Amino acid sequence: MPGPVRFLRLWAISVVVLGALVVVVNLVVDPYLVFGTPRLPGISALKPNARDHSMLSKTYAVARARPVTVLFGSSPTYLGFSAQDPAWPASMKPVFNYGIPGGYATSASLDTMREAIALGGVKNAIVFLDFQNFFIAEGPRTWWTENERRYRTQRDGTANPYRPLQVTADMTLSLLTMRALVDSADTVLRQFGRDTLNLADDGSTTESDFSNAARADGMHDLFAQKESFEIERVRRGLSRVRNWTGPLPNQDIVLDMIRLAKAHDVRLTLVILPHHAQALELYWRAGLWPRVEQLKAELADLVAREGSGVVLWDFLDFSSYNAEPVPSPGDRKTQTQWFWEPTHFKQTLGHIIIARITGAATPDFGAILTPANVAERNALVRAQQRVFACTSGYKPPAGFSGTVGDDCGTPAKQPS
Amino acid sequence: MLFNSYTFIFFFLPVVAAVFWAAGQRSKEMALLWLTAASLLFYAWWRPVNVFLIAPSILVNFALARGLERTRDDRPGLTRLLLVSGIVFNLCFLGYFKYLNFFAGVVNDMFGAGYVLTQLILPLGISFITFQKIAFLVDVAAGRTDRFTIRDYALFVLFFPQLIAGPIVHYREMMPQFRVASCRFDATDTSVGIALFSFGLAKKLLLADPLSTIVQPIYAQSAAGLPQSMTDAWIAALGFTLQIYFDFSGYTDMALGIARMFGIKLPMNFNSPLKATSIIDFWLRWHVSLTRFLTAYIYNPISLALTRRRMAQGKPVFGGKNTTASAFLILLVMPTVLTMLVSGIWHGAGYTYIAWGLMHGLLLCVNHLWRLLRPRFWPHAASYQRWFRLPAFLLTFGAVVFAMVLFRSTTIGGAFLLWKGMVGAFGITVPAAVFARLGDAAAWLAALGIVPAWTSGSLFLEAVLRIAVLLFIALALPNTLEILGRYEPALGYRPPKNPAWLQQRLAWQPNSAWAVGLAGISLAGLLSLGQLSEFLYWQF
Repeated sequence: MPGPVRFLRLWAISVVVLGALVVVVNLVVDPYLVFGTPRLPGISALKPNARDHSMLSKTYAVARARPVTVLFGSSPTYLGFSAQDPAWPASMKPVFNYGIPGGYATSASLDTMREAIALGGVKNAIVFLDFQNFFIAEGPRTWWTENERRYRTQRDGTANPYRPLQVTADMTLSLLTMRALVDSADTVLRQFGRDTLNLADDGSTTESDFSNAARADGMHDLFAQKESFEIERVRRGLSRVRNWTGPLPNQDIVLDMIRLAKAHDVRLTLVILPHHAQALELYWRAGLWPRVEQLKAELADLVAREGSGVVLWDFLDFSSYNAEPVPSPGDRKTQTQWFWEPTHFKQTLGHIIIARITGAATPDFGAILTPANVAERNALVRAQQRVFACTSGYKPPAGFSGTVGDDCGTPAKQPS
Repeated sequence: MLFNSYTFIFFFLPVVAAVFWAAGQRSKEMALLWLTAASLLFYAWWRPVNVFLIAPSILVNFALARGLERTRDDRPGLTRLLLVSGIVFNLCFLGYFKYLNFFAGVVNDMFGAGYVLTQLILPLGISFITFQKIAFLVDVAAGRTDRFTIRDYALFVLFFPQLIAGPIVHYREMMPQFRVASCRFDATDTSVGIALFSFGLAKKLLLADPLSTIVQPIYAQSAAGLPQSMTDAWIAALGFTLQIYFDFSGYTDMALGIARMFGIKLPMNFNSPLKATSIIDFWLRWHVSLTRFLTAYIYNPISLALTRRRMAQGKPVFGGKNTTASAFLILLVMPTVLTMLVSGIWHGAGYTYIAWGLMHGLLLCVNHLWRLLRPRFWPHAASYQRWFRLPAFLLTFGAVVFAMVLFRSTTIGGAFLLWKGMVGAFGITVPAAVFARLGDAAAWLAALGIVPAWTSGSLFLEAVLRIAVLLFIALALPNTLEILGRYEPALGYRPPKNPAWLQQRLAWQPNSAWAVGLAGISLAGLLSLGQLSEFLYWQF
């Protein structure tokens, strides 16, 4: 039996050796895409654990990708668009998906846009806007989260003094933490799993989480689960949104995006993202649709006023894409074509949207919004809503009987 | 400075230990002086102003102790006056910083008074330090201490491993150790210290901290008035019980380990309390040094005074088969409830802590009552132990978990709401995704009134799995003291004479297997340092 001195020596050596081993494993597997280590088949080709660290992963990945076109937005953007979509014209490639799931979506998009532009070489910025993010004021964000301290520039455009320290912390935490080690081990194990989630070097992700859940639980359950969340969200925000006076919030962030793009000669496209009609119907029945129409009108005015060369697309309607039927309860086999659940669409619909905004699709979905056509567009969507309400068989949840017409022979009315 | 911070582990502790050992080679006095200075630096690190608050208090207490020392033999009246002054001074010191706002709030709540609450700086570890200082004054007055200098006293109060969150130590168990300590590097002490510290770090960071993400949202929802299903309520209650168990147990292991590196053994503070088979047993295992303090300095004096009074009045006293109801109420219930009320108030300035203390006081009384009555129903103690061990454990565990809801809740209303959830007042739900995978069992559950809910199945399973694993560790595995039992990990700790098979297999010794195994545990803890989190008991 070795004495305590030998014990201490062996313990210290073991800590150092095991620590070095951890560094090597994390560097080789690179579970968060921080180092850009070549992907090894059967070991690290797929990166399932980058999903929970998308801001970290994508901020390092975008610097390596050197894209010409960058997509910005929140989780629907993260999930719904592939940078490898065949609809992207050659002139816009390479494309990078910088969509980040999470809160403060609009200002986070502005921050990621600033970061991507600071890299140089970006010619096209496509910002996907979620209408719900304009119903809660994000306010002026003067603080930085840990994730944002790694950006190259601060919000005023000057060099970010926190970056060197944060980059050092990122490297250390990606190499020398238990979490990274567990995620590396999980990454290796999941290489052999069925339909493993992957974050590609271009920021695109596979839809594995949803497809696995859909296979196991059926599409109806996915819709129902998210709908219960959306019901709560609408209820919580009901009085605030309904009683809002004046312009809707967060448009100053969009204005900053327009100015940033202009300043760097980047072609900016703004896109109001689609939602499934079930989610939209909640807003309609809660009497909040005028706020949605107000948002479209105000954004159209803003772009016309400030954004020469900026295009504003609107896909938020009750068209046949968004009104796709949802499988019945207990039906676990029928798959939907366009939506995973009320607020997240599939990359199949993402493809249609890309094709539409790049001019390669027939105009049966979405429209460019201008002050001149916004009233007409709003009227069209109202008509679509009536068709959906009368023909889809959708039964609204309790408390959402709302302002729909008593029978479908009577036009539905919304408060002005 | 947290024990689980990079600064402490990679800078403060190695530097302090290295200089201490080096100084000890030349002069023991210099080494102890360095340890005192380092402890002061440790205390100041968090908020330097703390030093200016604690230093005058130390000086006043030292002066009072000196006065007590001089008067205790021939001037009992003055000794009593000095002692009472010292206790009042310390309680006022604690009361001002910790309870002023609370009591002002209570007066505002009760009488609608408009006292303005001010933002006071709460000196770190004030509750622990105050109790320690009071105990010292009582010990000096009773002649239980020998000669001491200001450096002795400062080191006793400030010794950094136990400074912030205990164990609450007595002068008579610390100073003799400092006097005989070699103050030089000792490989055995350092090995035991590193083992204790590594176990504690791993408990805190790998076992306790991940539970907060499970527990916090449910308690927050309860505080906001949202009802919880029975499953969620139990996840929150069990989750927090385990979180505070591993958090406090981890902290205690680390404190014991750090002190041991300096050749000092701290008293036992934690001994698998969740394995307790009665509430009395629980308090002999949970925060042992606090129980010891409360018993010695609050419960015993009250109980003794009341007993003497009753004896003088010729009334029956407590004990044995002939205990009367009035003796039980006055000599046991009253001191117990009062002591536990103090315990609750000591833990925090809030209604929930007071209610928690009172609840434990009542549980202890019920336990004592059952001890008195049990022989009438089940005279054979051995067979009672055999048959009732498991039910007694389950009842104790349930009571501890139930009471712990008060400890974590921010409002009494929130605690009540969670309790209602725990007894099924808001139904029993299982995430729909889990329900769908149960096959035929789902129909059975539905028949029992358990319904699917649109909550996250993966989070639910993670919570259940994590709680199950932690319960196994807490209830089935030997604790740190038992694993390191051969090396007296805590002052006066003796391992059981007939250790269980697993305890024998896991017994720590300085061999190659433990060196590599412990390195793995140490590294797992070190690699989890990325996210700093405070110890739950540091807030007291």
